[in-house]
Amino acid sequence: MEDWVGGLWDKLIRRSAYRGYPQAAVSLSSLERTAPLFFHAMGGDPGLTLRTAVGTAHGARRRWLERVAGIGQQVELAWRDGQSLYLPEQIDLYPDPQLNRDLYFWLMALAAQADTASGLGWLERNRQATLHCLQQMPGLAALYRRLVEALLPLRDTPADATARAQEMVIQATLLNPEQALPLPASTRPPQPVLLWLHPSPPVQHAAAKRPGDAPAEGEGESRDSKKRRRYRARRDTPDERKNGMLLVFRAESLFTWDEYVRVNRNTDDDDEDNAAAAEDMDTLTVSHDTQRRASRLKFDLDLPAAAYDDTPLGEGILQPEWDYRRQQLIPAHCRVQPMLPRDALPATLPERLHAEARRLRRQFQALAPERSRRYGENSGPDIDIDRLIRFLAEKRSGHAISEPPLYQAWPPGERSMACLLLADLSLSTESWLGEAGQVIQVIRDSLLLFAEALAATGDPFGLYGFSSLRREEVRFLMLKDFGERHSDLIRGRIQAIRPGYYTRIGAALRQSTQILLQQPVRQRLLLLLSDGKPNDLDHYEGRYGVEDTRQAVLEARRAGLIPFCVTVDHEAGEYLPHLFGRHGYVVVQDARRLPQVLTRLYATLSRPG
Amino acid sequence: MNAPALPSTHIPFYQPVADECAVFEQAWRQQLPILIKGPTGCGKTRFVSHMAAVLGLPLFTVSCHDDLSAADLVGRHLIADGDTRWCDGPLTRAVRSGGICYLDEVVEARKDTTVVLHPLTDDRRILPIERTGEELQAPPGFMLVVSYNPGYQHVLKTLKPSTRQRFVALSFDFPAPAVELAVIQQESGLDAPRAQQLVTLAGQLRRLGGYDLDEAVSTRLLVYCGKLMMSGMSPLTACRVALVEPLSDDPDTLAALQQVVLTQFGA
Repeated sequence: MEDWVGGLWDKLIRRSAYRGYPQAAVSLSSLERTAPLFFHAMGGDPGLTLRTAVGTAHGARRRWLERVAGIGQQVELAWRDGQSLYLPEQIDLYPDPQLNRDLYFWLMALAAQADTASGLGWLERNRQATLHCLQQMPGLAALYRRLVEALLPLRDTPADATARAQEMVIQATLLNPEQALPLPASTRPPQPVLLWLHPSPPVQHAAAKRPGDAPAEGEGESRDSKKRRRYRARRDTPDERKNGMLLVFRAESLFTWDEYVRVNRNTDDDDEDNAAAAEDMDTLTVSHDTQRRASRLKFDLDLPAAAYDDTPLGEGILQPEWDYRRQQLIPAHCRVQPMLPRDALPATLPERLHAEARRLRRQFQALAPERSRRYGENSGPDIDIDRLIRFLAEKRSGHAISEPPLYQAWPPGERSMACLLLADLSLSTESWLGEAGQVIQVIRDSLLLFAEALAATGDPFGLYGFSSLRREEVRFLMLKDFGERHSDLIRGRIQAIRPGYYTRIGAALRQSTQILLQQPVRQRLLLLLSDGKPNDLDHYEGRYGVEDTRQAVLEARRAGLIPFCVTVDHEAGEYLPHLFGRHGYVVVQDARRLPQVLTRLYATLSRPG
Repeated sequence: MNAPALPSTHIPFYQPVADECAVFEQAWRQQLPILIKGPTGCGKTRFVSHMAAVLGLPLFTVSCHDDLSAADLVGRHLIADGDTRWCDGPLTRAVRSGGICYLDEVVEARKDTTVVLHPLTDDRRILPIERTGEELQAPPGFMLVVSYNPGYQHVLKTLKPSTRQRFVALSFDFPAPAVELAVIQQESGLDAPRAQQLVTLAGQLRRLGGYDLDEAVSTRLLVYCGKLMMSGMSPLTACRVALVEPLSDDPDTLAALQQVVLTQFGA
């Protein structure tokens, strides 16, 4: 009974002490699609990802009721660093939902303008960014005034003189950002200003790498990023002297998980419960540890026993490789091993893709008949009236050519275009792309939707995947051969693909080129779907891999193919122009949009011409 | 494509960005053909009409499409009054009259079309007309100008290198803000503050080109928007119909674009 009353009391006092207006709350997820676009348009770096900010203790004086209820120590403020833009998960500052929504857009505009590296104080930095926003964007000025006018009555007037002086300066700056005022010193930090960016943004060392660290193959971002929760990270350099056998702190001080000591322990993976514990913490210590347990082990586990491996087909095909140092093609250097995915059973399209697939099928069906009509054919069901008139006129004038093509035709089944999609299935595709999930999952979905769309056009197409393990084993996964009909068997194969091994793009491209060249069509499109640079265990990395890939692309182009690369690698701008030419690739910023980009690309590329 | 724009005292407005006018004039004097590359609505066509007027040359513009053949450019026989009559195509007329033949979006034309251009673009400067047995020698005033819009949307449609290497080439892009401001004011008659807001808005929207939008907003659309605003339409509506809706069909993208418009023309 006491517990029950206590619980009720706690709930009641928390609710009455809470300053926000939960009934008017607007969540960041409702702006998920519009927010990135808006931020880019405001001048924000398109490479930044959108994350929810974590609450930080503001240290300002709280109201009496808040202190009694034990709430209000933390505040969620917006900030930006080199990796991400952080915004509160939800805003319920104002009683009007529209104002809360406007505040999101204001914060994004402000974050896009703010110069994080200026070295100015918090107040001055925000004042200048605000001023810049108001001068550049007159529409925002009205919005800002509304936000400020609604904000001022919500702020407390502190009793303490210095705190009050501080508050006066903040209010004056909010009302009139043209005027720079110094912030008076006070023992306590001022009340947080939700219209401004974080005074001391948490430094993100978690994602930043120290020079000399090994690249994180397959490591990706942690699962936490999926929930977009970020912790106030504290960098910790492991002290090599601290050894697991030595107790360097008193056991009774071990109150929380928060207290961190790096212990040199062997590889045992952490409990699931840790995630729950981490949720409750203020600070998460991130240690720079040169060992990576999972990936270290994976290196050896990478090799599946023959019985569990994908089903190899035949002896393999030898492909050459380009050695840029010698500037020549080494013949029969790589063995391409065509394979079928193991455990592939016929499967239907996953439920979650149905709506999108239906939409794409409809679009692509509409695309198909329009472009199969051909004028000026030697035979066909319809007469090309325009050409006939021209011919008759020329005949009368005595300049007619003997056998003019005077028909219109819709050649059945004989399309002008064949498309081969080659997907990168190397281990790096196992990594996480924040919200979008694993790269491999995105690739799977893209392949499924792309196949549905292409099947609707009737264009011949093939789907293949590749990964490699040195030059002896370039694994070439047959998902759908050109001869095969699109069916549940194909869908099953696509869903059975798993990431593994490395990225020897050159050999796989050469193999694809040969397959595509056998198609009796006018235009042959070779689409490469990748998530990063070429690399393999041997010398196939860096310049060598890039040059071999470039050579394979050039060979394909010389053979009359149209190679094109679609990638989710944000750094692709550094090397892809070299490989595919300036107009031969597209970087997809948000992996979730990959299926749409891919299918739209196909629709654009295959327009009549 | 039929009636040539005859040289007149009226010179279409064109705001030079760099030395493109001088380049064009020199190319014309040296009898060299010109290739203009650039995104949609950045002023390629206007530039050519401006130069034709400045140089006092008749202009024959052909908007190329995927069924445009060599015969459409050169000419054809027509039946009239029970007899046949040869009718010159725009290219032939340009050669005969010593004017500018402008092939807009030349990559859209059928592949065989470009072959007829080859003898005109080298030092021979001839146009053989197979069907009448003529071989026209281009007079000094004749100039061939072609344009196209490079970009990944046009990967399948680019000029063959053998064709491209016959032209002096100019790259166009959207003008610098100050130039664009002048263009909008001149073309739509909009006042400076609102024109400035449109230019800033264009800058914001162009940041999305290539990432979130296929193509960036063109100067032409900005001029349309300015004209609508001058006609008394509210800025928000004008921006929606002239800038936001033409750029995308995706509802989320449209919502975001409208939000960007609000930063300039908010209530």
